[in-house]
Amino acid sequence: MSAELSLTYDGADLDKDDVVLRTESLKKSFGGLTATDDVSIAVERGSITGMIGPNGAGKSTLFNLISGFYELDSGSVYVNDTEVSGMKPYEIARSGLMRTFQTPRRLEGMTVREAMLVGPQGQSGESILPLFFGGSKVRTEETANLEDAQRMLERFEIDHLANAPSTELSGGQLKLVEMARAMMAEPDVLLLDEPVAGVNPTLAKKLAGFIEELNEEGQTFLIIEHDMSFIMRIADPIIVLDQGRVLMEDTPETVRSDERVIEAYLGGSP
Amino acid sequence: MSEQQSDDIGLTDRLDRLRIEPGNLGVSVLDLTAVGVFVLFLLLLVGVGVLSLNYGMYLLGLVGMYGFMVVGLNIQWGYAGLINFSVIAFWGIGAYAAALLTSPGSPHDILLSPVIALVVAIVVAAIVAVLIGIPTLRLRADYLAIASLGFAEVIRLLFLNEREWTAGSRGISGAPELFGWLPVEPVVRLLSAEASIGTARNTIVILGMLFVGYLLVRRIHRSPWGRVVRTIRGDEDLAKALGKNTYMMKMQAFVIGCVLMAVAGWFYMYAFQYLDPGELEPLQTFYVWVALILGGTGSDRGSIIGAVTIVAILEGTRFLNEIDLVVALFEAIPGITLNVSAVRLLLVGLLIIFVIRFRPQGLLPPKEELIWPGAASDDTQSRERQATREQRGVDE
Repeated sequence: MSAELSLTYDGADLDKDDVVLRTESLKKSFGGLTATDDVSIAVERGSITGMIGPNGAGKSTLFNLISGFYELDSGSVYVNDTEVSGMKPYEIARSGLMRTFQTPRRLEGMTVREAMLVGPQGQSGESILPLFFGGSKVRTEETANLEDAQRMLERFEIDHLANAPSTELSGGQLKLVEMARAMMAEPDVLLLDEPVAGVNPTLAKKLAGFIEELNEEGQTFLIIEHDMSFIMRIADPIIVLDQGRVLMEDTPETVRSDERVIEAYLGGSP
Repeated sequence: MSEQQSDDIGLTDRLDRLRIEPGNLGVSVLDLTAVGVFVLFLLLLVGVGVLSLNYGMYLLGLVGMYGFMVVGLNIQWGYAGLINFSVIAFWGIGAYAAALLTSPGSPHDILLSPVIALVVAIVVAAIVAVLIGIPTLRLRADYLAIASLGFAEVIRLLFLNEREWTAGSRGISGAPELFGWLPVEPVVRLLSAEASIGTARNTIVILGMLFVGYLLVRRIHRSPWGRVVRTIRGDEDLAKALGKNTYMMKMQAFVIGCVLMAVAGWFYMYAFQYLDPGELEPLQTFYVWVALILGGTGSDRGSIIGAVTIVAILEGTRFLNEIDLVVALFEAIPGITLNVSAVRLLLVGLLIIFVIRFRPQGLLPPKEELIWPGAASDDTQSRERQATREQRGVDE
C-alpha cells in the first residue's frame, strides 16, 4: 500500500529501497536478561512499519535503543544513512527521528497550544542571547509556529483544546497532542509507542485515519501496537519481535496466518 | 471544579485586558497597582507612627534583597525543577565579593568600586554554578539537592576557617557608599528632613535593580527558552525526545538563578555594613524556599509577593509583644507563660501550613499560558479566548 502512495511525497527521492531508519545487530541486556538480541531492521521511507510481539518481546527496549535513551551493548543505528548510535537522544531527534512515549506525562502549567510550540526544531528563541538581541526574529518565528500549531491542531481535530491546560486532557486527547507536537518537528521518521493503548475505539479509528493521511503525504512511521486490528489495518510491512529477536517481517496477511506468530503469542514465551 | 476554572478564565481575561500593550514589558497595570498599594500601606504605617521612615525603607531594601533570591530560586525550581539548597552559599559569594573587595574592614587592602565587586560576584557565582552543575545536572534532580546542601556547608566553613583571606568569625565591617553619584539626597530631603540618605540610596538602588532584573527574567520566562525549560520540569525525557539539549538549558537556568542570588548578597554588604560567616546558616536558604512556595512556585509575580511576605513574617513577628491583643491571647493560655516573640518561628511554621493547606498553588500562582509578546495578533487571541469560553460554557 505505502510504496505506491509514497509517490505523492513531495520532493524527495522515490527510490523504493530508500531506507530512512536502519539498525544493525542491536544488542542489549539488563544484568543476565537479554532484552534485545541481534536485531536488524530497516524502515523504508514512506512506509508505515508496524512492530508487534508479546509482552517482554523487546519492542520498547528497541525504541529506547534507537532513540538513544538506552545505551547499546553493541550494534549500530542509522538515520538517513548517518550513524547515530552513541549520540544523545536530543542529537538523534535533531537528525530526523522523533518518538512518542507509551505513557506521556501532562505538562503542568502549560496550555495545549504552548505544549505544541515545544515541537518545532531550531527555534532561535531557545537560546538566551537572541532573546535580548534578536527579539523581532524570535517574534517572527513564534508567529509562524503559532500558525503552524493552529493548523496542526485543526488537522488532528483538537483545535478546540488549544487553550485548555494540558493537565485537563483525557488520555486519548493527550495521545493526539503528542503526535501533533511530534509532527511540528517535521521528522523524517516518527516512532509511535502504542498510540492507541487506552484510547476508545472511535478515537482509535480517527487516529488511524490521521496516520494514513499523513503517510499519504509522505510521512514515515514505525509503530509499536498491541491492538491487532489497528496495526493490521494501517501497517505494511509488520515486524514481529519475540524474546528479543526478529521473528519475521512480512505483509499483515502473511503475519496474521503465520504459525510461529500465533505460537509466540499463545505459546511458550514468558 | 469547573466553576473554579471559569473563575480563573475570567481573571485571566481581566488581567489581559489590563495589560499594557505597547512594548509589552511584562508588567501589567495590576502589578503596578499592587506595588502602589503596598507602598501606600507602608507610608500609612509610617504616617501613624507604627514604622519609622528609615525602618520602612530598610524593610523595602530587604524586600529587594529577598526578591533577587526568590526570583533566582524560581528560575531554578519554578521553571526548571532544579532543587537548589545552596541559595545562601551563592548569596555568600556575592556578599564576600563585596566585603573583601570594597570594605575598609577587609583583610585585603583593596578598596575597589562596588561596581567591580558586583561584576566579580556575578562571574564567580556563574563559574561556581557551572562547576556544581557539570557533575549533577546530568543526573536526576535529587543529586543536585544533595550536592548543593553539602556545598553550602563547604562554603560556610571555608569563609569561617580561611581567616587570613576572609577574616573568619571576626567578620568584616564597613562598606563604601553605593552609587554615590546618584542624586538621591536632594530628592529625599524634599520629602523628609530626618530620612537617612544612605538607607534611601540603598533602597532605591536595590529596588531599581530588582525592577530591571524582573523585566529581563519575565522576558526569558515567556520565551521559547522558558517554554522548553518548563517542559524539562514536567518531563525531561519528552524534551530530549523533541530534540532539546536539556543539560545545557538546565545549566543556563541554574547559572542565571545563582547569579541573581549573588547579587542579593552583594547588596547585603552595603545595606548592613557587616558580614560574618554566621550569616551563611542553612536556615536562610529555607526562608527563600518558603518565600517561593508561599508566593507561588513558577510565578514571577508570586516571587515578589513571596519576598514581601517573608520579610513581613520575619520582621513583623518581632513586634508581636507590642500588640496588646496578641499578648492577651497568649496570656489566656492557662499554666504557661510565653514570650510571644520567642515563638515566632512556630508562628511562621503555622502560617506556612495554613497557606499550603488552603492555597497549595501559592498566593499568586503562575499564568497558564506564556507566549512571546506580540507573537500572536490580538484578534486571533481574543477570538480563541471567545471560543474557549463558549466551549467551557457548553461543558458547564
